[in-house]
Amino acid sequence: MNPDFPILTLLLFLPLVGGVSVVLLWRSPATARVFALLTALAELALGAWLGSAAPAAGPTGYFLYQDLPWIERFGIRYTLGMDGISLVLVLLTAFITVIAMLLSWQEIKERVPLYFALLLATETGILGVFLSLDLFLFYLFWEAMLIPMFFLIGIWGNGRKLYSAVKFFLYTFIGSLLMLVAIIALYLMHGAQTGSYSFALAELVHTQIPYTTGLWLFAAFLLALGVKFPLVPLHSWLPDAYCDAPSAGTVVLAGILAKTAAYALIRFTYPLLPDAARAFTPVIYVCAVVGIVYGAWIAFAQKDMKRLVAYSSVSHMGFIALGIAAWSPVALSGAVLQMVNHGITTGALFVLVGMLSERTGDRESLNYGGLWGKVPVLAFFFLFFNMASAGLPGLNNFVGEFLVLVGTFRVAPGAALGAFLGIVLTLVYTVRLVQDILFGTPSQPMSVSDLSLRESATLASLAVIGVYLGVHPAPVLDLIKVPIALLTKA
Amino acid sequence: MTFSDAISLLPLIIVGVASLLVLLAGPFCQVRVVTVVGAAAALAAGFCAAAVSPVNSAGLPGLAFTPLARYLIPVFCVAAALTLLLSHGYNLRHEIRGEEYPATVIFCLFALCVLPCATNMLTLFLALEAVAFSFYVLVAMDLGRAESAEAGLKYLLIGAVAAAVTAFGLALIYAGTGTLALGALTAPAGFHSILTAGWGFVLIGIAFKLSLVPAHLWTPDVYQGAPAPVAGLLSTTSKFAGAAFLLMLLAFAPPRAELHLPLYLLSLLSMGLGNLAALRQTNLKRMLAYSSIAHMGYLTLALMTGTRDGYSAVLLYGAIYTVMNLAAFGAVASLSANGERGAITDFAGLGFSAPLRGGVLALAMLSLAGIPPTAGFIGKFFVFYSAIRGGEIVLAVIGILFAAISAYFYLRVVVQLYMRPAGANLPKPCSRAESFALVCTSLGIVVIGIYPTPLLRLVESALALG
Repeated sequence: MNPDFPILTLLLFLPLVGGVSVVLLWRSPATARVFALLTALAELALGAWLGSAAPAAGPTGYFLYQDLPWIERFGIRYTLGMDGISLVLVLLTAFITVIAMLLSWQEIKERVPLYFALLLATETGILGVFLSLDLFLFYLFWEAMLIPMFFLIGIWGNGRKLYSAVKFFLYTFIGSLLMLVAIIALYLMHGAQTGSYSFALAELVHTQIPYTTGLWLFAAFLLALGVKFPLVPLHSWLPDAYCDAPSAGTVVLAGILAKTAAYALIRFTYPLLPDAARAFTPVIYVCAVVGIVYGAWIAFAQKDMKRLVAYSSVSHMGFIALGIAAWSPVALSGAVLQMVNHGITTGALFVLVGMLSERTGDRESLNYGGLWGKVPVLAFFFLFFNMASAGLPGLNNFVGEFLVLVGTFRVAPGAALGAFLGIVLTLVYTVRLVQDILFGTPSQPMSVSDLSLRESATLASLAVIGVYLGVHPAPVLDLIKVPIALLTKA
Repeated sequence: MTFSDAISLLPLIIVGVASLLVLLAGPFCQVRVVTVVGAAAALAAGFCAAAVSPVNSAGLPGLAFTPLARYLIPVFCVAAALTLLLSHGYNLRHEIRGEEYPATVIFCLFALCVLPCATNMLTLFLALEAVAFSFYVLVAMDLGRAESAEAGLKYLLIGAVAAAVTAFGLALIYAGTGTLALGALTAPAGFHSILTAGWGFVLIGIAFKLSLVPAHLWTPDVYQGAPAPVAGLLSTTSKFAGAAFLLMLLAFAPPRAELHLPLYLLSLLSMGLGNLAALRQTNLKRMLAYSSIAHMGYLTLALMTGTRDGYSAVLLYGAIYTVMNLAAFGAVASLSANGERGAITDFAGLGFSAPLRGGVLALAMLSLAGIPPTAGFIGKFFVFYSAIRGGEIVLAVIGILFAAISAYFYLRVVVQLYMRPAGANLPKPCSRAESFALVCTSLGIVVIGIYPTPLLRLVESALALG
């Protein structure tokens, strides 16, 4: 591979270019749909190829890097870099986008080209967050990905879709603007200290920040990232957005969009503000444990399956926050691994809920029942992913949660114990959901057809990855080992 | 007047000749031809201004082609040309006939072009008032609608008061300094209070022009009543000209300490009231009026820092605001049939039934809300950056919070455009001139949003010598 070839730019903008082309195919929705899927598959293939063919990582952990001047007036540069953590999340993003497209294949019937174009645009926005190493560039993608997601919820959603779309947008937008202030403040402090004004992460990490100022800046970051994460007091947009978005939109929201916040905490916030991060650690512990327990608790009370999975997603994201707060190599590896696992498992659960409600138009778990005998393939996957979500050993979530708990237990046993309580609660609501859907007797007879080939393939690919990560997580852990060692060394 | 003076003032000459030509030859030509000629002349003047290198020495009494003029004239020219293209179809539908409309627009452009060239306060004032005078006529141009005439009268009365106040302020500054020449404005000892009073009056007058709270009350009525393309031009060029007026005066030894509090309050109130009042509007043009009040508040925030960064931010934001507001009003104009399409709910479903215009309107809304990757984000970023750097951290954070709130009312329009079923009142097809102008503005929004470096360089060179 020619080292000068802007492969990261290609990786980043391929979905967007594909999306624009898809809109131009608006006359024939069927072609547009196929073209969009091909673009997403090409992106996945490109990501996988980069992962396998990438040269060895340098001392900075980055094996692909691109840096161009962009807005010189402010020292803003177009800096992209890919290390192990980025690569893992890029692959997850590309994969989940393909899953989302397969899921919406039949579900979306109106304005098909625009829908698939927006999915691809969202993908570029999310990839941008995972690849940017300039804070301005990061912020740009961070905000820009809201726009396609807003349209996806508002146009193709259901229920109170307008309310949910606007709420989703405003929550994230308002939180993010304070982060922008913090970024500008960092930039100015760094410029005043060194004379070189730059938004580059590599330079800004050397800024000397007074302790109190650092606390304010960290709070601004935490507010912005906590909304998207979501950390528990900031999560109130989530059930609405997750429930009213189209199924694929929910998969993208839960599977990858939430990960951008966790990623930004690891990549930017902690390295930029290490002292403040230490000071805020108890706060994050509390948020994480409360999130785990509270999410599981509320999930147990839900009758609506989608809402149940939404709250279970909050609960699982708590483990990621816990791993980040502990900030030890083991816990952080667990957190990154859990980001992938959460994307796969929660993504799959939303896929299943989407498939069920597409068949019956009903999301009340009590109205189902006895699916085990009627639709064996669907029932199998339903059981499989619920067990994964509950942390069954041998499946993916177990490894991530285990690592997080082990890592946390060494530094904060109390928090680890609280999180453990959450696992027990998870088991409770999961078993109840499985009982209601698969084994109970339905309140009224309901005809549900079994999975089509496309649907089986979608779920099977997710299941294969789930098992693989469950029994052999070493490749992912190897990839993220160097960057995590670098991050936790400081 | 030497030959080189004539070359450097060529943009003014082109526009001046064009306005007379349109007025005299207009009756014998089709309106279509007049419009195209007018737009071409405006673009030619803008191109000329961009090509000629600026001089700071006054070749003529009261006029010089300054670096600032080199930046502002092309912006004004493009805005006027786009307005002419956008208003052609609108005027046909509203039966605004005759050559006086394009002639007045170009005359207004002439005054706009003179303003940044002024080197003494008298020229500056005359240019500002000539701009306002053209708008008195333009706002009332739609004779078929009573609101248009009402808006014209309202604007005239308020404008006359503002002009008197500004003139009085300038007179006091003259009394304090003993000179009209801008370059020589330095305060001799002992005249401080007269100067300060003069500045106070000028500030009140300009607050009217910029519709800063509490001098904003005319704005919603005038925007709602004026023909949509005129409202677009009014909300952009006349505001930008007012800001430039202040900028040119502020460059010369103002009593900064005394001006700080009034500017602070003007900015705070405009950002606050503009955004909060816009939340409650049901009419799109009124909403845009309050939004423009808020945007002028942001502009004042950058202006009050008194730093070079702040002035650059004003110039950049002015240009960006011009592009996005022209896009918004242009789309509204083009979507209006015989009557005005006013209520926000009237725009339901138009994102799909009129994809180009709906898309441009949505893009303009996202840009006004300051969401990347649009030009509006770059503009807001620069404004708040300069404010934080200039030490106005509290006001900047307040402004950012208000900007966050503003996303709500801009999104409401987008929600109507794309997420509501279309009503029965479908728009007429889009003419080629309108499509061209709208595509230009939206390209401007996207290109500046993604790659603002060239525009930033132009801004820097505009402040290079002045």
